[in-house]
Amino acid sequence: MSQIQERGSTHVYKVNKISKEEMESMVARCVYEDPPFCSAACPLKLDVRAFLEAAAAGNFKKALQLYEKIAPFPLILSAGCEAPCEGRCRLGEIGEALAVREVERAVARFGEQSRLGGIFRSKKRRTVAVLGSGLFALLLAGELEKKAYPVTVFCEEADEESWLRAAADFLDEEAFSLEHKRLKGKDIQFEFGCVLDRAFLEQKRSCTDVLCASWELTKRLFPDAVCTSELMFCEAERLVTGPTEGVTDAAFGAKKTALTVDRLAQNLDPRNTRGQEGPVESRLYTDLSEAKALDRVPCSAGGYSREQAMEEAGRCLSCHCEECLKSCAYLKHYKKHPGLLAREIYNNTQIIMGDHQLNKPMNACSLCGQCTVVCPNGFDMARVCHLARQNMVSTDKMPLAPHEFALLDMLFSNNEAFLVRPQPGFESCKYVFFPGCQAAAIAPGTVRAAYLDLCERLEGGVALMLGCCGAICDWAGRYEMLGQTRDFIDRELSKLGDPVVIAGCPTCRKELSGFVSASVVGIWDMLLELGLPEGAKGLDRPAALHDSCGARGDEATQRAIRTLAAQLGCELTETPFSGDRSPCCGYGGLTAYANREVAAEMADKCLERSDAPYISYCMACRDRFARQGRESRHILELCYGTDAGAPPDISEKRRNRLTLKNELLREVWREEPREMRLDYKLQYTDEARAMMDERMILTDDVIAVMDAFRENGEAIEDEDGLLVARRRVGNATFWVKFSLTDGGYLVHRAWSHRMRVEKREG
Amino acid sequence: MAIEKNYYTIDPEGKLKCFKCGVPLIKGKAKFMYLDNGFPVELPVCPVCGFVYVPEELALGKVASVERALEDK
Ligand code: SF4
Ligand code: SF4
Ligand SMILES: [Zn+2]
Repeated sequence: MSQIQERGSTHVYKVNKISKEEMESMVARCVYEDPPFCSAACPLKLDVRAFLEAAAAGNFKKALQLYEKIAPFPLILSAGCEAPCEGRCRLGEIGEALAVREVERAVARFGEQSRLGGIFRSKKRRTVAVLGSGLFALLLAGELEKKAYPVTVFCEEADEESWLRAAADFLDEEAFSLEHKRLKGKDIQFEFGCVLDRAFLEQKRSCTDVLCASWELTKRLFPDAVCTSELMFCEAERLVTGPTEGVTDAAFGAKKTALTVDRLAQNLDPRNTRGQEGPVESRLYTDLSEAKALDRVPCSAGGYSREQAMEEAGRCLSCHCEECLKSCAYLKHYKKHPGLLAREIYNNTQIIMGDHQLNKPMNACSLCGQCTVVCPNGFDMARVCHLARQNMVSTDKMPLAPHEFALLDMLFSNNEAFLVRPQPGFESCKYVFFPGCQAAAIAPGTVRAAYLDLCERLEGGVALMLGCCGAICDWAGRYEMLGQTRDFIDRELSKLGDPVVIAGCPTCRKELSGFVSASVVGIWDMLLELGLPEGAKGLDRPAALHDSCGARGDEATQRAIRTLAAQLGCELTETPFSGDRSPCCGYGGLTAYANREVAAEMADKCLERSDAPYISYCMACRDRFARQGRESRHILELCYGTDAGAPPDISEKRRNRLTLKNELLREVWREEPREMRLDYKLQYTDEARAMMDERMILTDDVIAVMDAFRENGEAIEDEDGLLVARRRVGNATFWVKFSLTDGGYLVHRAWSHRMRVEKREG
Repeated sequence: MAIEKNYYTIDPEGKLKCFKCGVPLIKGKAKFMYLDNGFPVELPVCPVCGFVYVPEELALGKVASVERALEDK
């Protein structure tokens, strides 16, 4: 029996570096975290999406909280903001852009202010003075108060009301009195009736940590003052200020100024570590195909009512790119920003010591490539996970357990169940039929019929090769094993004289085209050329066609299958996500072995597209859909009038391959195969069968245990009189609980573990 | 004598018998080993031939979870 060497130790302190550039270039393709277009355009960086969501839900308190983050005086900003966000709103492309500013205004008017704040907050130690009046001075004082600086305003005005009037004379009376109240509630100190001259300024400088002024005052006192508008700082005068124009710019200016104050208060260069300021470009993708083109909720001069604001906010599309999450069950399962997941999977490979917590997600991707097609930026998770697996294999950190069953199954296909023969009567053949390991395992009768048909109808001889193309070890990231498998197949093909390969499976077709010297076609191509065999018959009900992930990007194959289905008389229903956008059934990438939960979600995802029976052209898809309880047929079953029936369990899949090989040897080549026969009777309870399938224990494993028991008689007897024997097979120990029967054994239970167990002395 | 920590203990309490030797299994010292890591345990052992028994619940429970944890090291 074939074996795979388990890695010797967990103490391998080696990593194979993945280049940062490579990683970044792949991760950065995902725009999931880019801001929506409105927020990107907002120089103050309002989280417009969250703001509108709260407003639409009638939660004006929360909406106001979000808005106050950027607007210390919400009625002022919402009354005068130029709303660059609206210019970028995607709704504007199909109807009217969302009236963000009017919603803000309504929120500012009706939103309940949260109590906390003002006087009760602890203050920073450094003090700041703001000299002068005007909109910029007002907004700046507000920003600084928000940052918890002890702020004092020195102005010529006689009282708060006239200072506010000088800043915002454009407010109507209702708004003015609300903002006046708000100003009174803020922890800002005032000195009114000041004579703002140079001497006054210098005197304040000597008793405050940071000095700010309105731009008008600065120009009056220092006519030559120059300021960089990025920093809002007159370096020569050491005065924090700058020119602004309009309400939005004044607010943005106040924000930049407050940051400069922060830096100066900490004795840092105001140029450093400012982060990204102002509007940005967003690469976000919004699917507008289902968006409704609508007009704005009409607005009177007095502004929206509460209800109107809620309605208008409700028009927000809440722009999010979730294209891949909509279609891939795996990404949905891990519910994470795909770019971030990719980064974590990369980082997982670079861990020298400790837990590799991302092994599971790394091995759960089916490497199907759907994300790359549906992502507007071609994000390629398959490549990330495939590279990561290879990387882990190369450093001997890849666990064997998740993939061992599949790898052993591949070795079985290419050893015990392998068969290669030229067609009788031909020394070299023009063709070789390569049905693929899953076809032989799941639908041996169909493979037989197909081979006999090809032999009969094709000129030049058709050889047969039963085996695995190597996809299994490729998916597992075992590149050395893949190299060996490819060499082996290549050698066998060249012994046949490098005939044209007729693949029975789109994944085999793809894998084989990657390395064999001869050309590779699909059996569907041949059938289109030859015409359908006698007895071919489609389903008599409408069916859904499922495209195999192995045929992604292979338009010719997708088209050929559709033509074949039409010739069969199949009526195909339209399904979403077909062709290149088709999801994976859960077999690809070995998901079905490494993570059965995700694999089942993948199959369900495929099946939710239609209630009709499914027709597929990959035997693994056929099998997985049938296992989920759906009527499921492979197109070759329809072509050859065969029915593979209920899905076989893991042991039957092996037996089917062996039986197919032996039957064909007898029938076609008149050879008598060597067959192993048990000289005792082995039976299983139904419970044992189900348990074995679930636990991936083969009847061959049970036979190995029973053979050992017959030889050494070692077993224990439990309370119920049942016997339990065990044997180490490869990397696992198998235990079988059984009772003695007339001439054999009845298996009740079976389990296994990978750890070795030994008696310890002492 | 140093007291050794056992990761797991099962006492067969006379309920299991060695089929070959015909004697009851006793609580005995054993060791699990995986990927170069070892864990001392106490399991049902035959005092005559040394057969160490790993019951189903143990294999699927504790043993499986330690295996998973080590595999991801
Ligand atoms: S489709 Fe997915 S991977 Fe591509 S940008 Fe959107 S969220 Fe990111
Ligand atoms: S399962 Fe397919 S669609 Fe999903 S992340 Fe992997 S390769 Fe992309
Ligand atoms: Zn014994």
